[in-house]
Amino acid sequence: MNPSSDDVVLVIDDEPQIRRVVRNAMNAGGGIARVIEASNGRAGIDAAAAERPSLVVLDLGLPDMEGAEVCRAIRSWSAVPIIVLSARGSVQEKAALLDAGADDYIAKPFSTIELQARVRAQLRRARLAPAASQTHVVEVDGATIDLATPAIRRDGTVVRLTKTEWQLLRTLMQNAGRTMTHRQLFAAVWGNSYGDAQQYLRVHVRSIRRKIERDPVRPRLIVTEPGVGYRFQMEP
Amino acid sequence: MKSPSKAARAILWLTVFVAVTAGMVAIRDQLDRIYVTLVYLLVVQLASAQVGRAVGVTLAVLSFLAVNFFFLPSYGTLSVADPLDWLVLVAFLITSVVSAQLLYRARALGAERERLSAAARRADSLELSNRMKDETLAMVSHDLRTPLTTIKGLAHEIADSGDERAEVIEEEADRLNAFVGKLLDLSRVTMGTAALDIQPNEAEDLLGAASQQAQGFGRELALHVEPSDTMLFGRFDFVQSLRVLVNLIDNAAKYSPQGTTIDVGARRVGDELHFWVADRGAGIGDEDRDRIFEPFYRRRDGNVDIAGTGLGLAIAKGIAEAQGGALTFTARDGGGSVFTLAVPAIDLTGGGLSIDERAE
Repeated sequence: MNPSSDDVVLVIDDEPQIRRVVRNAMNAGGGIARVIEASNGRAGIDAAAAERPSLVVLDLGLPDMEGAEVCRAIRSWSAVPIIVLSARGSVQEKAALLDAGADDYIAKPFSTIELQARVRAQLRRARLAPAASQTHVVEVDGATIDLATPAIRRDGTVVRLTKTEWQLLRTLMQNAGRTMTHRQLFAAVWGNSYGDAQQYLRVHVRSIRRKIERDPVRPRLIVTEPGVGYRFQMEP
Repeated sequence: MKSPSKAARAILWLTVFVAVTAGMVAIRDQLDRIYVTLVYLLVVQLASAQVGRAVGVTLAVLSFLAVNFFFLPSYGTLSVADPLDWLVLVAFLITSVVSAQLLYRARALGAERERLSAAARRADSLELSNRMKDETLAMVSHDLRTPLTTIKGLAHEIADSGDERAEVIEEEADRLNAFVGKLLDLSRVTMGTAALDIQPNEAEDLLGAASQQAQGFGRELALHVEPSDTMLFGRFDFVQSLRVLVNLIDNAAKYSPQGTTIDVGARRVGDELHFWVADRGAGIGDEDRDRIFEPFYRRRDGNVDIAGTGLGLAIAKGIAEAQGGALTFTARDGGGSVFTLAVPAIDLTGGGLSIDERAE
């Protein structure tokens, strides 16, 4: 599924040259109708409210506001996908921005092809999101997962999960394609108790992988995002 | 007691003791015994506080003898007429010894606190300078990566319009970025400012992530987990250890013949968790073994066409050691190299996992 011709992308970046690169990448990426630009955080938030874009590309290191603040402000009223660009590229920063509501994070210098691919993926996910929350049965990589029953079959054999494992898998699948940070997963599965949950999360992820993955050491369904969290892949 | 200034202070307090004794003997008839003992107690305590326990106790014994000799009837002898005076003397000796001990201990605690707070001040300023270095590095990387983004983006546009040379610009921009990234990493590791996020992590998770990142290396990886039926947990920085492992796999792919398999594994060895990467390459000559972990060192037997900065292993070793582990090389049985990243292993505590672990 390609971006539709009425997609509007908002670029928030104080560097005119980067805005130009992103704009050209969007136009060449096929079918983005319009690219709007904002050169600071305040103007970006206003544009996001006024223009209702289908996607936001947000560069960090804006002169007036922290990137996470811009994310949170937009997220407070809108579910629009937000892709963050950063020169720092640290996993701590990435996790903090995903926690603040960003959907994806790209380190500079990025390739145009990569940016286009990530934008397409986010637009597709946003379009499928309402439908995805309705469907309960998912067939992926030889596994049939029914979140309503709940039940899993891997190559015809019934697989049993514990309550915690179901909770974790459900959270990942309801956000399929999106990296869930460790913190977000703790909050969804264990409430907000931090601490030892770090270790339990890893124990449970390994245990789910052993049950649903074809090769648990080379997982294709639950993918590790190093230092940040885990992501469920609908199309491995 | 050995330092001259301490000896000088001990002599000073003995002089004070003699002077006080002489002064009090001169006015002995107007002096109540209580005042005499109080004055000596004061001298003992001050001397203990200023010089130390040994001097304090010595003066306490001397004071005991002086009170007995000069101030108790009969004067000029160590005999005591009133038996109750013995009680006074013993109580005096105990009081002075105990107070000398207490003062000495308080002094030692004060010195320790002083030493600790000086150490804390040094650590604070070290941390501040480390933070400044790190922020400078972050700024350098930002100021470099933003124009590189523009260069790459524009090169891509030009390549799209048909000029193949622009692809070279994009590739070279990537190389420059990778090189600067490695230089920054090396300086972080050598300056000790690499911020590590050390946590309980699971071995299969790391192997899986490594094999995912190594997909582009064009080699078959065989993954081994030993033992495979238990969870292997270690205490390490996941992201940094992943970089070490991917770097080792990248090296193995570069220095071993096309078509050979690279073995990658995790193994529990005593109280360590070992991640190892083994290849069937030419191995490493004896003359290179000690030097391969040095920055900018390239193997002498290496193929000159192999792209690399000579920084990977130096960074990897720095990361391994910063998280309390080690990176080592061993020759492989039957030819080839084995690189091993060792990190502290941890045993899983059973508690907390049993709440609802019944499968439904």
